Amino acid sequence: MPSTDAGAVPAALPTRPPRMRWLTHPTTWTALAGAGTLAAILAVWELLSRLGWLNEFFFPPPSLLFAATIELIHSGFPDGITLTTHVLMTLQRIVLGFLIAAALAVPAGIVIGYFEILSKMTSGIITFGRSIAAISVLPLFIAWFGIGEAAKVALIALGAFWVIVTYTIAGVRFVDPLLLRVARSLDTPGPVIFARVILPAALPRIFTGLKVALSVAFMIIVAAEMIATVTGLGAMITEARTSFRTDITMVGMLAIGLLGWLVSRLLDGLEQVLLPWRKGGLRA
Amino acid sequence: MGAVAAARPGDEPSPGRPSAPRPLQSGAGALDNAIRVEGVSKRYRAIDGRTVLALRDVDLEIRPNEFVCLLGRSGCGKTTLLNMIAGFVIPSEGTIRVGSEKVTAPGKGKGVVFQQFGLFPWLTAQRNIEFACQQKGMDPATRRRVAGELIDLVHLRGFEEKYPYELSGGMQQRVAIARTLAIDPKVLLMDEPFGALDEMTRAGMQDELLQIWSNRRKTVVFVTHSVSEAVVLADRIVVLGPNPGHVKTQFTVDLPRPRDRLDPAFLALEQEVQGALN
Repeated sequence: MPSTDAGAVPAALPTRPPRMRWLTHPTTWTALAGAGTLAAILAVWELLSRLGWLNEFFFPPPSLLFAATIELIHSGFPDGITLTTHVLMTLQRIVLGFLIAAALAVPAGIVIGYFEILSKMTSGIITFGRSIAAISVLPLFIAWFGIGEAAKVALIALGAFWVIVTYTIAGVRFVDPLLLRVARSLDTPGPVIFARVILPAALPRIFTGLKVALSVAFMIIVAAEMIATVTGLGAMITEARTSFRTDITMVGMLAIGLLGWLVSRLLDGLEQVLLPWRKGGLRA
Repeated sequence: MGAVAAARPGDEPSPGRPSAPRPLQSGAGALDNAIRVEGVSKRYRAIDGRTVLALRDVDLEIRPNEFVCLLGRSGCGKTTLLNMIAGFVIPSEGTIRVGSEKVTAPGKGKGVVFQQFGLFPWLTAQRNIEFACQQKGMDPATRRRVAGELIDLVHLRGFEEKYPYELSGGMQQRVAIARTLAIDPKVLLMDEPFGALDEMTRAGMQDELLQIWSNRRKTVVFVTHSVSEAVVLADRIVVLGPNPGHVKTQFTVDLPRPRDRLDPAFLALEQEVQGALN
């Protein structure tokens, strides 16, 4: 682990004044190194493009991407639909689909996980369902839900559902048996064991499931937005393809990545607030 | 000595004198915390399908408020025996009684302390102890007070709002002991409770346990594989032998407490017990 080594080094050096301590802190260097690498890649990319070694159409350089972003914010693409609209629409569909999935999958997973017989009965179905790529269900969903918002949201909900239900079942089933023994030796009644031991013990895994499901939702969204719409980042990318705007495709890609990253950080923050006891790096 | 009832945390506050003698509970009597193991054997099925005899024909009588150490190498069934007294494991033959009650399930005043502490990681030290109080039906105010008294008893004042991951191993085990005491158990069953701690912490914890025990008299069954630990703690050492597990021999330790680990009489007994173990 290089980061551990880096952390050990400053202790051996003559002590710095406390104010400068961040200079020797490993995370500062990690952040700087990350930003530096990114800047270097962008600079080389731009340079190669200016020198004519990279085709501007296939590899639009950073300056062009910047210009496309400005264009998207002001006049939009297709005309009149700005980047803000695309982002908000995508976010709305993802959040809606994700919430529906969580509202169904967490309770279902808790019930299935708690009763061993149900776990055994459903494990085949769940593995089966999880293996079917959500995108392949698209034609069926169009038939069921039409081409409006419902089909898109349902597609995301479906993809997220399998992930969340799988993690929730595992969380409920694999509670440290020692904790259950402790509870029983303290004369804890069954319902209390469920509410105050099994559920809290399962929470870390449920949260992990929610985070994984969210990244799955971001993968599905592009496909979901191929269905009869001009709004949303996925639709924007599809539209850009038909009008040969590789720069806009790439901005759309980056926007989805950035959005996914931001929402993930939000969930991380929520986890730290809700599960402060996890900071110790729990076995989860 | 045997007639002194344990202080009940649920009773009226007794600040300053937690060990004050209390009148005996009606009908319960001091014999309520004796342990009787009669003709107990335990068989279980191994992974390869063969039946393994873990313990054979164990008879053991533990007096009220006696401190008994079960000593033996790994695989001689001492933890199995403790788990049967605790009610986690049911004997294949024979019966175990705690007080007048036959053991068929965990709980009902059988307090257990585990080697791996078993604290709820999502609860602070205080809340871990209050969890136990709640199962005894105490109201929130009583819970807080009793847990606070126990925090003091195990010397963790100032750490009550810490989560388990913020505490050292020794501190975590002190929380676990306090949590077990919160239900005011008839018997205290300890499964190598200091086995996960380093040598220094371990010696400190032994002294602290004896102090707690002298404050709140309990029948204690303490599993260990350390001879010196057994000689420091026990009124009586029950040595178990392997293949299948059985009671090999017993030693009564009548050295006065606190015991000096370097006293010649202590060392002599340690040697003798060590000899019986081999």
